[in-house]
Amino acid sequence: MNWSILRLLFIHEIRMLVRARRTVVMALVIPAVIMPVMIYAQKFANDRREQTLAATTYRYAVTGPLADRVRSLIEKTQQTLAENKDEEFDPLRQFKSAEIRVENPRESLDNNIIQFYVQAMTGEEADKLTRTRDGSGSRSSASATTPARRLNGVPRITVIYRADRDGSDNAHSRMMELLRLAREKDSRLLLVDRGFPGDPKGLFAAADSNVATNGQVTGSLVGRFITLFLVMMMFTGGAVASMDIIAGEKERGTLETLLTTAVRRTEIVTAKLMSITCVALVITLIQGINFFLYIRLKVIALPKDFDLQLPTGMALTLLTLFIPLAATIAAVLLMLSAYARSYKEAQMYFFPVYMVSMIPALASVMPGLSLRSAIAFVPLANVSVASREILMGRPDPLMIVVTFLVMALTAVFLIRMSARMLAREDLVIPSHSEPAEFLGGPALFQKRVLRWFALMWAVTFAVAANVPQLATFQRQLVFNEVVIMIGATLLMLKLYNLDVSDALSLRRVKPVVWLAILFAIPSGYLTALAIFRLVNIVIPAPQQLLERFAEDFIPAGMPPWQLYLYIAVLPAICEEVAFRGMLLNGLRRRLRPTALVVSVGVIFGLFHMTLFRIAPTALLGMILTGIALMTGSIFPGMLLHAGNNAFGLWAGGSALGLETLDWQYYAAAGSIFALALWIIYRNRTPLPTRPVYRGA
Amino acid sequence: MNAPVVVSNLSKTFYDEGRGEVRAVDSISFQCREGEVFGLLGANGAGKTTTLRMLSTILAPSSGTANILGHDVVLDPQGVRKNLGFYSATTALYPRLTARETIDFFARINQYPEARVKERVEYLIQRFALAKYADTRVEKLSSGMKQKVSIARTIAHDPLIIIFDEPTVGLDVLNALEVQESISELRSEGKTIIFSTHIMSEAERLCDRIAIIHGGRILASNTLAGLRESTGQHYLEDIFVLYVKAGQETV
Repeated sequence: MNWSILRLLFIHEIRMLVRARRTVVMALVIPAVIMPVMIYAQKFANDRREQTLAATTYRYAVTGPLADRVRSLIEKTQQTLAENKDEEFDPLRQFKSAEIRVENPRESLDNNIIQFYVQAMTGEEADKLTRTRDGSGSRSSASATTPARRLNGVPRITVIYRADRDGSDNAHSRMMELLRLAREKDSRLLLVDRGFPGDPKGLFAAADSNVATNGQVTGSLVGRFITLFLVMMMFTGGAVASMDIIAGEKERGTLETLLTTAVRRTEIVTAKLMSITCVALVITLIQGINFFLYIRLKVIALPKDFDLQLPTGMALTLLTLFIPLAATIAAVLLMLSAYARSYKEAQMYFFPVYMVSMIPALASVMPGLSLRSAIAFVPLANVSVASREILMGRPDPLMIVVTFLVMALTAVFLIRMSARMLAREDLVIPSHSEPAEFLGGPALFQKRVLRWFALMWAVTFAVAANVPQLATFQRQLVFNEVVIMIGATLLMLKLYNLDVSDALSLRRVKPVVWLAILFAIPSGYLTALAIFRLVNIVIPAPQQLLERFAEDFIPAGMPPWQLYLYIAVLPAICEEVAFRGMLLNGLRRRLRPTALVVSVGVIFGLFHMTLFRIAPTALLGMILTGIALMTGSIFPGMLLHAGNNAFGLWAGGSALGLETLDWQYYAAAGSIFALALWIIYRNRTPLPTRPVYRGA
Repeated sequence: MNAPVVVSNLSKTFYDEGRGEVRAVDSISFQCREGEVFGLLGANGAGKTTTLRMLSTILAPSSGTANILGHDVVLDPQGVRKNLGFYSATTALYPRLTARETIDFFARINQYPEARVKERVEYLIQRFALAKYADTRVEKLSSGMKQKVSIARTIAHDPLIIIFDEPTVGLDVLNALEVQESISELRSEGKTIIFSTHIMSEAERLCDRIAIIHGGRILASNTLAGLRESTGQHYLEDIFVLYVKAGQETV
């Protein structure tokens, strides 16, 4: 990377952006000027409304045989309120009303002469009305009368109002509160009359005591939403620059000019990424300052006892996480811009990408989710949870480092992907198809294989969650393994006209490889256990989850042969065909060996749904992929996969205590496993690969 | 002495939704000598632009090799681009930069010695008579002025090899003449120029050697005198038609 070139490109990008007047107006002036004006206008309107409502004297009428009782109740309650100084009754104390006599209350309500009227019925009348209504069947929903829960013979007081009028609606709410208060007061007096303690305060005092400081409570509140807020701001802010930065250049023809200069693709991409990050951060900062000003000017009201404490160390830690977060968001936006053929197309892609990116940012809202779990490896979600823990004053330094590394790696990966996109020829010649699109068959399969696996994953997930008929152990396994894995494999073989033995790597291997696999089965299992124990020290898997999983996973009373069939044989055959056969074959010519091993392993892990199973199965998947690459065949991996699952089943049932062996046994097992892999490597018969031109 | 541009069996295959598999460039070979204008003369769709895009490393060859001053277009694309100026009707300018900023940016980005950039920019502004408009944004310049800025940015880093891909397309006669004059001047400065055109008079006037390209293949490559001698025709148009017809019959 040439830093002076990078600096030059960065300044160039920023200059281009600043000179685009409309973009600057959209990006800076709108949030800085129009938003405060809008919020002020809204606050002004709200305040005026409140003032108007508070200053109004509401007119009402009282009808019915119990009208005098209602009048007396209202009057007494208003007197009590005037004597009571509790703040909670302020709205009721401010409620000004005046009864007026009218001939026809309903007509007066419709003509806005009164805002509501109170109809007071005796118990008999109310009972009669209820019977009439029950007899007539359905009630008109338009009348929207909310029937009070009432015992037979009990009088009924109805407040009749118009919900389509602000004044009427507001006045009715206050009158309902007043009447409820009156009823409560009345019932207390009744209890006292009959010799019961009427005042609840006379029974016992109920109090609560919060031991968290206001700072901690505020930290918890802010921590839940800060990442979401930042992701939203950075996405919308960064989009201002990103749309134009590649997609716009494609349209204007300046991208081709830039690509013919001596700069590298990575330098172009990095400079563009820096510009997007910079713009995203500036706009986020402006929004942050705006937000702060709104609070200072009391345009936005903060919760009671809000006390955000942000010591320097905490602020710096948050900043350390937010910088790779900004870079990742910028990289996503850059990829979107590079993928789109035009500015308009980039705008079209923006919204779905924006919405999907919100989902992991909401991880901090999920109760009980701790950073010391697999969530630390999920980009965006990890920052979300980490920010909450930091602001609550419970930072986990090790996991914060893991989070930072995961985010940094994600950003680097996305930058590389964007740089690769700039090598695509349809950037320069849009009318030409990618060769695969035209040729179809195996070439197209290589392009589409990831979409197929994404679809398979989505179907597996959706069916598991929504089809209760498939919720049993056997049915779910048969559906996932046979219908999804084998079914999709057969479909892909047919649609893309693939050669079965080539696509599935059905090749013979040297006999010594089989011997190595036999050694690898127990030693590999013990090595995995050792790794699990080590990882468990750092990221403990929840014990409850493990127990529940074991109960769900292995049904009681199943004959052993069925257990071995469903847990060892079926997954080994079906999953090896799908992952080390189809997926590996599809990606083999597109990725370098290391990336291939990691990708196939991770995708394999993702199919194992629950979060804490993803990492170990991904590791197993990587080993199986490595073996498939070395041997050029799925058969050794199939045996290892079946053997591993069967050994685990046998060991679990035999209570051998393999989970608690001394570390030297694990070390010995690890050595045997490494030796087995070395034997396989020495006797490798790999599949042919092809170099890929990536541009520079 | 080694030729600065060596192209051997270079091919490019596209897959076009309408036309299917298209061999845009079909195993072409040629060499350019130092200080000459080498012309690629062909009709639209003959494979000129694709060939030049492969030489400028924008497109990857399907097969064959190409070397620019010893740098392979696949193995060392950055080395190629550092020594190359690429001009085409499709390489646009940044509309929001001024003429001066444009030349400055392209000189720096192509790693022209930092200390001499200013001097180089002023020289090019004077050379292309851009002084009056040097600080005007490109978007406000006339098409003739834009053309001049485009050529200036192409040679901003003083490359030894310059590619002109149909530089006069869409220009009026006077502007086209100015472009031709610029190319002649560059040749006199010792630059090696690859020049593609479908206009016979331009090829006649500018090129030291001409390669007639059709259907992605080079049908003939020689000096104008050599082509006249081998065909017995005087006018380049007749020579071109003769070769193209012969090429079609061979196909």
